[in-house]
Amino acid sequence: MRALASSLRCFGARQPLGAVGAAIVAVLVATAVFAPALAPHGPKEAVFTPYLAPSPEFPFGTDHLGRDQLSRVIWGARLSLYVGLVSVVFGVTLGGLWGVVTGYFGGAGDNASQRIVDVLMALPPIILALSLMAALGQSMNNVVLALAILLAPTAARTLRALALSIKESPFVEAARAVGCSHWRVIVLHVLPNTLAAYIVLLTVNIAYAIVVEASLSFLGLGAPPDEPSWGAMLNAGAQAIEAAPWMFLFPGLAISLTVLGLNLVGDAIRDLTDPRLRGGLG
Amino acid sequence: MRHDYVMRRLLLFVPTLLGASLLIFILLRVVPGDIAEILVYQTGSESSAIQQKQVQQIRAELGLDKPVVLQYVDWMRDALAGDLGQSYVQRRPVAEILKERLPRSLELAVLTIVLAVVWAIPLGVVSAVRQNSWVDYLARMLSISGLSLPIFFTGVLILYCLVRFFRWLPPLEFVEFWRDPAENLKQLIWPALAQAWYISAPIARLTRSQMLEVIRQDYVRTARAKGLAERAVVYRHALRNSLLPVVTFVGWWGGRLLGGLVIVEIIFSVPGMGSALAQAVAQRDYPTVQAMVFVMALIFLSLNLLVDLAYGWLDPRIGYS
Repeated sequence: MRALASSLRCFGARQPLGAVGAAIVAVLVATAVFAPALAPHGPKEAVFTPYLAPSPEFPFGTDHLGRDQLSRVIWGARLSLYVGLVSVVFGVTLGGLWGVVTGYFGGAGDNASQRIVDVLMALPPIILALSLMAALGQSMNNVVLALAILLAPTAARTLRALALSIKESPFVEAARAVGCSHWRVIVLHVLPNTLAAYIVLLTVNIAYAIVVEASLSFLGLGAPPDEPSWGAMLNAGAQAIEAAPWMFLFPGLAISLTVLGLNLVGDAIRDLTDPRLRGGLG
Repeated sequence: MRHDYVMRRLLLFVPTLLGASLLIFILLRVVPGDIAEILVYQTGSESSAIQQKQVQQIRAELGLDKPVVLQYVDWMRDALAGDLGQSYVQRRPVAEILKERLPRSLELAVLTIVLAVVWAIPLGVVSAVRQNSWVDYLARMLSISGLSLPIFFTGVLILYCLVRFFRWLPPLEFVEFWRDPAENLKQLIWPALAQAWYISAPIARLTRSQMLEVIRQDYVRTARAKGLAERAVVYRHALRNSLLPVVTFVGWWGGRLLGGLVIVEIIFSVPGMGSALAQAVAQRDYPTVQAMVFVMALIFLSLNLLVDLAYGWLDPRIGYS
């Protein structure tokens, strides 16, 4: 416990911005996990007067359907984090594994898979996501699926490049020489060496996934309309910004803070894993 | 060697473009509810035998009753002959819509990139030269906040402030650049600023990290040792050599940007390609979506190719193999 505390302090001293980010992310995670206990009302309960300004009873006011905005922002943390985490873990893991395996074996299969990645990366992400949502239909799971499809190609490309260089290293040659099968080499020697890059990809992409989810909801093609998505709340808020600016402000601040926290943590992790960026001007 | 590389890239260009357009083609056709149903059932009435007949008639007229692959081949053949088809919703040639919308989005994209670069590169340089000072922290906070404030938040806020405090109203009618440049820029500067604020963040960060790397190189030390002024060291020796990846990145973003303008175009009611495309996807206006995605992918891939080739020209150490 004391070791943990001291290593946290060390991280805070070396990466002050990263520590701030970690604190924001910790609050976000706590909010998401304890949403049912923290939120005074249900996210879909439309039982109050619409467009009430912030007051002690409703600190964030109520929205156009008379729902408590504070509760919706709190439940929104859970939705955003769920979508961000699941789609990123799903997309980056599968895309990354795909890239490592095809890169390791090389040949026609690798070539074909790289062409598929080319195609997916040639389409503008928002347009691909919009088309996927139109094709799949609006539901939470489809948002996750569309985001995973969006994220997988980048992960495949990054980890494939890494696998190509690991494949040539002496320890892989040695493992092959003592008779390890290709699959054993991949699982025991190649994959563990891609772990650092994999973790950086995860942290960087969670923020991106949360923003894309909110963008889709803002455009009306993300989560179903009654779900407490920050993007959908922003859309409703933008329509009523003259009459009820709080409807726009609070979800906007929530998503900005979340993305800021995640970016700060991602930055710190990247700085720590990239030895070239350490130290002073020399 | 170099010749081979260019050839290989050109050979990959066409299949990638075709693949991208085929993918969108198929995606749109698995969407539940096609244009025929939307046109006939728009009144929201119960489906009757007559309506079903109408749906089938429209499908036959538009060729939607054929197998998807055949439809794609038909579309491709016409497109190669220069006929991009008719928009189902607007009932006019897609080529006409493109000609109207594409220049607006291109202009917005160029304006955005220029604004972003002018602001982001000096920010990245200052941040690197004064690493870990308060200037660095401030510059990094600025750029990371640009990355963290989603465009649909900042965009609406900017619009709201403009309307509230400056009595500025989003234009009812878009004024083309060639008709009135000043009026046109007045309309596009705000969406461009909102978008530039967002994309300047990664450019500033990349400039910073590249500068940090280059500034530790031996030739920079040599430049300092021979007594060059700090300005000359930073701008002539360090910055020039750190800009290469930045150029690649900006080129990549530039290609990507055309599709990324959707949200900002909608917020600021710029009748560009992004907003038209989002609308066409929602209305299942296949020919319009098809043509626009094709053009976007074409521009993206061409820019990528140009950036790759320019890279070898800018940095002779890079060999193509």
